Amino acid sequence: MKRFSLAVLGAFVLMLFAVNLYAADLELAIPLPLTGSEAKFGEIQKRSYEIAAAEINAKGGIKGKRLVLHFEDSQAKPETARAIVEKLIGNKQPIIVGEYTSSCAKAVAAVAEERKIPYLVVASAADEITQKNYKYVFRQNATNAHYADAVISFMTQVVKPKSMAIIYESTNFGTSGAEDMEKQARKLGINVVVKEKYEKGAVDFKPILSKVKAARPDVIYMVSYVMDASLLMKQIKELRIDAKLYAGGAAGFAIPEFIQNAKDASEYVVTATLWFHKLNYPGAKAYADKYKQKYGDYPSYHGASAYSAMYVVKNALEKAKSWSPEDIRTALKSTDMMTAYGPVKFEDKDGYQNQNFHETFALQVLKGNHELIWPTKYASAKYIYPIPAWRDRR
Amino acid sequence: MTTMKKYFPLIVLGCLAMLPLIGLSDYIMHIIILVLMWSVIGMAWNLLGGYCGQVSFGHAAFFGVGAYSAGILYYHTGITAWWGMPIAVGAALLVALGIGFISLRLRGPYFVLSTLAIGEIFRIFAENLEEYTQGNLGIMIQQRSWVEKAPYFYIILGIAALTFVVVKIVAESKWGYYFVAIREDQDAAESLGINSTLFKTIALSLSGVFTGIAGAFYMNYMGYIDPGIVFALGEISILTVMVVMVGGVATYWGPIVGAVIMVFFSELIRSLPTVGAAHQTLFGILLIVIIIFLPNGIVGDFPKLLRLFGIGRKP
Amino acid sequence: MAPHIELLLQTLIAGILLGGLYALIGLGMALILGVMRIINLAHGDQMMIAMYIAFFGYDLFQIDPYLSIFIAAPALFLLGVGLQKFLITPVLRVESILPHNQVILTVGIGMVLSNLATVFFTSDYRSTPVSYATTAWYLSDYWKDAPIELSLSLPWSVSFVFSVAITALLWFFLGRTDTGRSIRATAQDLDAALLMGVNVQRMRMLTFGIGSALVGAAACLFIPIYYLYPALGKQFTNIAFVITILGGLGSVEGAIVGGVILGIFESLTSTYLGMGWAPAGRFIIFVLVLIFLPGGVASLIKKKRFAK
Repeated sequence: MKRFSLAVLGAFVLMLFAVNLYAADLELAIPLPLTGSEAKFGEIQKRSYEIAAAEINAKGGIKGKRLVLHFEDSQAKPETARAIVEKLIGNKQPIIVGEYTSSCAKAVAAVAEERKIPYLVVASAADEITQKNYKYVFRQNATNAHYADAVISFMTQVVKPKSMAIIYESTNFGTSGAEDMEKQARKLGINVVVKEKYEKGAVDFKPILSKVKAARPDVIYMVSYVMDASLLMKQIKELRIDAKLYAGGAAGFAIPEFIQNAKDASEYVVTATLWFHKLNYPGAKAYADKYKQKYGDYPSYHGASAYSAMYVVKNALEKAKSWSPEDIRTALKSTDMMTAYGPVKFEDKDGYQNQNFHETFALQVLKGNHELIWPTKYASAKYIYPIPAWRDRR
Repeated sequence: MTTMKKYFPLIVLGCLAMLPLIGLSDYIMHIIILVLMWSVIGMAWNLLGGYCGQVSFGHAAFFGVGAYSAGILYYHTGITAWWGMPIAVGAALLVALGIGFISLRLRGPYFVLSTLAIGEIFRIFAENLEEYTQGNLGIMIQQRSWVEKAPYFYIILGIAALTFVVVKIVAESKWGYYFVAIREDQDAAESLGINSTLFKTIALSLSGVFTGIAGAFYMNYMGYIDPGIVFALGEISILTVMVVMVGGVATYWGPIVGAVIMVFFSELIRSLPTVGAAHQTLFGILLIVIIIFLPNGIVGDFPKLLRLFGIGRKP
Repeated sequence: MAPHIELLLQTLIAGILLGGLYALIGLGMALILGVMRIINLAHGDQMMIAMYIAFFGYDLFQIDPYLSIFIAAPALFLLGVGLQKFLITPVLRVESILPHNQVILTVGIGMVLSNLATVFFTSDYRSTPVSYATTAWYLSDYWKDAPIELSLSLPWSVSFVFSVAITALLWFFLGRTDTGRSIRATAQDLDAALLMGVNVQRMRMLTFGIGSALVGAAACLFIPIYYLYPALGKQFTNIAFVITILGGLGSVEGAIVGGVILGIFESLTSTYLGMGWAPAGRFIIFVLVLIFLPGGVASLIKKKRFAK
């Protein structure tokens, strides 16, 4: 008995040593939605974070320490996100990265600012997050107001529409996207003839689409998540609504599922996007191919942003004088680098603070695939305009 | 009544009051604050549902109205959202009278479903009346009143204590007697001269007011609300019913026990590394088991619970 | 003028087709609520399970969703009977302060179903992109110089026809067969039915089974025109009980009429008031019916019948 207990004790002590060896790890816990309605995007991001971490560790980690990621499921609920972040701050994590929905990002940003811990927003689009004079909140992705820059540029230079219908889902994301598009349209002298919101998950859009049809707009602009986007295009096809252009405000329209579900109804649809896998940002293609090889599809811009965020964090942690939240914040503020997602530089301008202003793009579904069509200097294929009427399509 | 039993609530209150001094982590304090808040909502619901027998599946209406009272005040006038609490009392009262007028004439499943529908109506109105509520963009407080947890803890502890006392006083008064009479057999109660509409309305109003106060607290504490959060059917209305039914209907401590289970255990299971994703399944099963074996909740069927574990006397 | 008429007609068509489908979804709950007074908040989640059955039938075996009715409906029947026998009956038997335990029970069941679906099938959105998903008949194809354009979607029309057919079958079953009549007896007066020798326990299980089978059929009709994810149950539970109350508890004709009324109402609200308000309209009708017409449409139909 005594020998046995000594053995156990010995094993325990050895274990402690082993644990100690790996104590030179940099643990980073990331909140994101792993269950619930946004789980798909949480998953894309999780995979991308993991790919980046593996690469970083293969090259020696961050200042010699191995980057170990943990993921906490916020279920896209703000109070859960907040609880998670408070737990992380309690565990002395000096930097927060992550979240997906704008509501959760807002909740996390409030906590981070209060507790003076730097927070890097990766995918949330609501403009207000970086308009509140927060010093500790940084955002890598373009905001709602700029999401559709390329689409608008395409419209003004090629399509030259006189009227527009805006259909959007009633969440934070849809509402801000629609508001911004309406503002831009008015500035450009485009008449917004219909502006309708719908509740996410709606079954039948035909009443509202019939209304759009009656108004005969030149452009139909939709801000939706993927399944609503597919249903909208399918029902537009059913009703044979002919517009000069069907345009989507990112998210749902920019991922492969849109094409898979809407099938031929998705052809020629243009959408805004923040990133595309054929861009020649350094590392973009490598990352995209790696992701596709592992998971079967090219990653969306959410994934690319998550992937690059790890490199931005690495950069900041390496530049920082120490790993106190203050020093990390200072290092983050001075970020000016090129990543697979694009250029990352946090600026205070136009009423935003610590916001990265990067270029956005327009994709078009051509022959069943997304192609980048605008700005033309980045284009992977030539855009098709004017598009054929429904009746004339095979 | 033994001295111990008489002073039990005070002892509990005293212990809780000393919690912040122990120096628990912010995360744990956050969970405890949520537990206390849900105790308030549970106790409030219990007054209407457990004692008076009117089961509401739409208490989110009161919670949301309370939260938005604080939120709208803050957003449109810049006055601190804490003033939202007294406003929430008035707003919740009005809402209670309105809902009462519409729904209290209905019985049984019809009442239940009508409250469910009304809760959803409030949510949709909040989403669409963007000029007042900011719709789905939500309302965010720029800077919350305190960074530390302790002040919030004491505030919600105070509210919980107040609610507990009010429920106890009402339940042990003549009103409470009328409530139970209405619950057991409304027609018989009426024939005895009890104005069931009046007393149901009183129960609904008290219930709504305290739930509204909890909502206003939520706005101040979380710093961010939107219709999908505070008027939620699943996360607020149904959770309220579960808190009370699991904890124990028509008991004083039931809602508190229920809040501990639903909030605390739920968070515990959620953060388990591998099982986490299936936590709702586990929770659903727990719910089903409790409903089948302990129909009056844990506190309500406490003797039965003890028996299941082999303690206590046989019936 | 023409665009206005076109808009109105198209809206009405959309409403009627939507209504037929809604009716089928609600029919199951109407039956269960009418016969057993059980509010089943897991109704939508049962539909979700049936949709997954149809989905995998299509994805793995290329079975057309419409044919999956013959798989999903029986499967859901068994699920319903099982739930009734092993979970609901025990709860109903127990003495408790509040009789609403069964509602909470169904909430728990719904939670388990939707979470299991998330765990096993992931939250990915699925759909069955059948070849005829966007096929439609256009007025201008048949009437060359039509002043307006109207379109009638194939899958929507098929589901409408099926819904009516299934409802007719059900009505026939309840009205003309012995079992059906026993079920109705159980709904009307439990004690009297017992006295008349009806095996009430069996009838209740049968009812829950049939109610579940109905929602299983609705699921198969629904999946080609919509999509699928684990959490979709809740909104259909809501629709189901609006139809139930609108149509009248336990009434088959009421459910169909109620469904179509709801469909038309929602379509009209969407077009002329704004789609954001449509869900509110659904619940407002619900409350109004609860107050002013508690028997639902069925009571109106009965009144007319007796008035002759």
